Amino acid sequence: MAAPLVLGILVAVTVRAVLYRSSLAGFISERVEVASPLNAWKRVVEGLALLDLGVSPYSGDVFHETPLIIYLFHFLIEYSELVFMITDVLTAVALYLAVQDFNKVVFKKQKLLIELDRYASDVAELIRTPMEMHYIPLKVALFYLLNPYTVMSCVAKSTCAINNTVIAFFILATIKGSTLLSAIFLSIATYQSLYPLTLFAPALLYLLQRQFIPVKLKSKDFWLYTTQYAALYLCSLVVIVCLSFFLLNSWDFIPSVYGFILSVPDLTPNIGLFWYFFAEMFEHFSLFFVCVFQINVFFYTIPLAVKLKEHPIFFLFIQLAIISIFKSYPTVGDVALYMAFLPLWSHLYRCKFFVFDSSHPHPHSPWGTLNSNTTDVYCVTYTLYISLLQILLISDYFYAFLRREYYLTHGLYLTRKDGTEAMLVLK
Amino acid sequence: MAAALPGPRWLPAAAALLWACCGSAATDGIQDQAEQFFRSGHTNNWAVLVCTSRFWFNYRHVANTLSVYRSVKRLGIPDSHIVLMLADDMACNPRNPKPATVFSHKNMELNVYGDDVEVDYRSYEVTVENFLRVLTGRIPPSTPRSKRLLSDDRSNILIYMTGHGGNGFLKFQDSEEITNVELADAFEQMWQKRRYNELLFIIDTCQGASMYERFYSPNIMALASSQVGEDSLSHQPDLGIGVHLMDRYTFYVLEFLEEIHPASQTNMNDLFQVCPRSLCVSTPGHRTDLFQRDPQNVLITDFFGSVRKVEITTETVALDPNLVGLETRVPNDEMATEPLKYAEQLPVAQIIHQKPKQKDWHPPGGFILGLWALIIMVFFKTYGIKHMKYIF
Repeated sequence: MAAPLVLGILVAVTVRAVLYRSSLAGFISERVEVASPLNAWKRVVEGLALLDLGVSPYSGDVFHETPLIIYLFHFLIEYSELVFMITDVLTAVALYLAVQDFNKVVFKKQKLLIELDRYASDVAELIRTPMEMHYIPLKVALFYLLNPYTVMSCVAKSTCAINNTVIAFFILATIKGSTLLSAIFLSIATYQSLYPLTLFAPALLYLLQRQFIPVKLKSKDFWLYTTQYAALYLCSLVVIVCLSFFLLNSWDFIPSVYGFILSVPDLTPNIGLFWYFFAEMFEHFSLFFVCVFQINVFFYTIPLAVKLKEHPIFFLFIQLAIISIFKSYPTVGDVALYMAFLPLWSHLYRCKFFVFDSSHPHPHSPWGTLNSNTTDVYCVTYTLYISLLQILLISDYFYAFLRREYYLTHGLYLTRKDGTEAMLVLK
Repeated sequence: MAAALPGPRWLPAAAALLWACCGSAATDGIQDQAEQFFRSGHTNNWAVLVCTSRFWFNYRHVANTLSVYRSVKRLGIPDSHIVLMLADDMACNPRNPKPATVFSHKNMELNVYGDDVEVDYRSYEVTVENFLRVLTGRIPPSTPRSKRLLSDDRSNILIYMTGHGGNGFLKFQDSEEITNVELADAFEQMWQKRRYNELLFIIDTCQGASMYERFYSPNIMALASSQVGEDSLSHQPDLGIGVHLMDRYTFYVLEFLEEIHPASQTNMNDLFQVCPRSLCVSTPGHRTDLFQRDPQNVLITDFFGSVRKVEITTETVALDPNLVGLETRVPNDEMATEPLKYAEQLPVAQIIHQKPKQKDWHPPGGFILGLWALIIMVFFKTYGIKHMKYIF
């Protein structure tokens, strides 16, 4: 499996190198879908230039990256293209290894459930075979590397790629079962952009599953492990934040990064849901609605945790998708990360409502000239359309997953009590 | 018919002598006056009148400027020597209940618009840039003559500005400002380019005195309607038009100027007394330290009027070709002894031998140490301490 992966990596690196040299690089880095105020490359350069001039990069509303990015790029700014290509490759490799491990776990679990006779008798076609699962890691890695969104993100040198790498390493650490590394990478991911905080729940559930600790509120083991994990996570978060203080000897980065993410002051259009709403809102209500919108991101964690506690990696996927859709400044890089996981659940195709391919081409022209009201409306409808498509995709996968689980336990051909064929309805 | 005249016989002789004396005295007077003409450094007058506010409720600023324009024209300065800048059109404003008029007295007694107004810079052309270009003469070659201040070193210039101002600045068109420093530098440019002989600067805004605080060029006299920290107030609203028609200071200046005629001998000290605190509420200020002549000797018409007194005489006047001007210029040429040269616009030598950019900021050592210590600790925790022996 290593050879096709290496080949895929080489192809991806070539594509990126070619695009870096072409004129598209400048064009793509200007696009708002790819570069948000949080992760645009020109803001990184601007921040480092300000630092060279002796001014704090967080003064003024230019730079919203964390001090670790300052540290990283202070030394690597001349090799930035190489850095971004390497991060993409690292992400792909991490996802590959993670999915490989995960598949083994899935297969083992399936074998166990079959032996325990927990599946209905006629679900043979839903059982996953090693044959079909063999190529999934490669597909995941290639899905990430060759996704046009990822390529665009890399060519635009958006630091979203770095965030994705950290999240990929976090997923790898979680699947490998290492509590410490998982907590550390999760804290780095949270430190970078606030939203991976919600990934705490699926990671915890998976690690509990791995340790064979059942999720019962009365169980002492459960609470012990949870507190252990939470303590590791919080401690490493505190350590990283304090370390960042020592980089610039100021706490300026906290309002600049986290204050910015949470209070959404910059309302340039992007593919998210926040900007249009807040551009049209009266100041009086903006605090309330900012709170509502931010709670919306974190809100789905608990219901999903309750429903999907047996399937934490699927939960992780859904959570990643929710973060990408509902975060304050989403870009296509975030979308690319959760889309990389789609091959993992391609076995759900049977149960899907509609075959949905979200990597369809879409027009970019409306955002070229943002100077008229009609373009504004077009942007809004277009943004909402993209978000809607993503939400439909996610809910589709979710529904298909649940349906498959139901079929597995209750049989594929459902019959009512009187023997007629039954329909499965989502209530 | 040689009738014997009654009275002393010496009367005709005395009368003839007296008349001769008078004649010679008169001749001397005419000679003196003619020589006076060559002694003063001032041969022409210009006026730059600026109203910087737009919108209907700033009617009074336009009325201020137009009333000064009217006085200045009446006293003899022709339109070709007046640069009138009005930031908005009040006479033909849709909100003007009496179109084509701009009144300065309530009950619409005095229409300062008339039918003989020539506005040179109108509406959006009144900007800080245009004003400074007019003053300094750095105007694009396509500008028409009416928009230029073609003064020379024998021009007395009256500069009148009105609008909304603050401590150290004057607001133009609600979107930009001119500061007192800029204005002072513009006047210095005018001085160095020999664009004026003497300059009278009058400003009617809030805290107007701050605008003349920074002047440093010679031969400038300045008047302002209020001191720093005070507001200049408007005079009277007209209920028919619905806005305030004039500002107090300019209103009383206008009243004062109505008394002046081209031959008046009224001097600047009287102008300084115009609008005392009791009438104006604000305290008008003036500055004469840069001015060489005593304000007592400066006629109002030196600035507000155009010297155009014509006297016909049949006397022959002998002019001394070696007449020297009474007022000598302040010699400030001792400053300009060092040769001037252009600063290097494009440092070619530097560009050719460009070294890589020096990074001036480095992350603190403590941070690097802490970060890498943490990373190594995590590494060893995860992979076990036994790897240590391969590293060390």
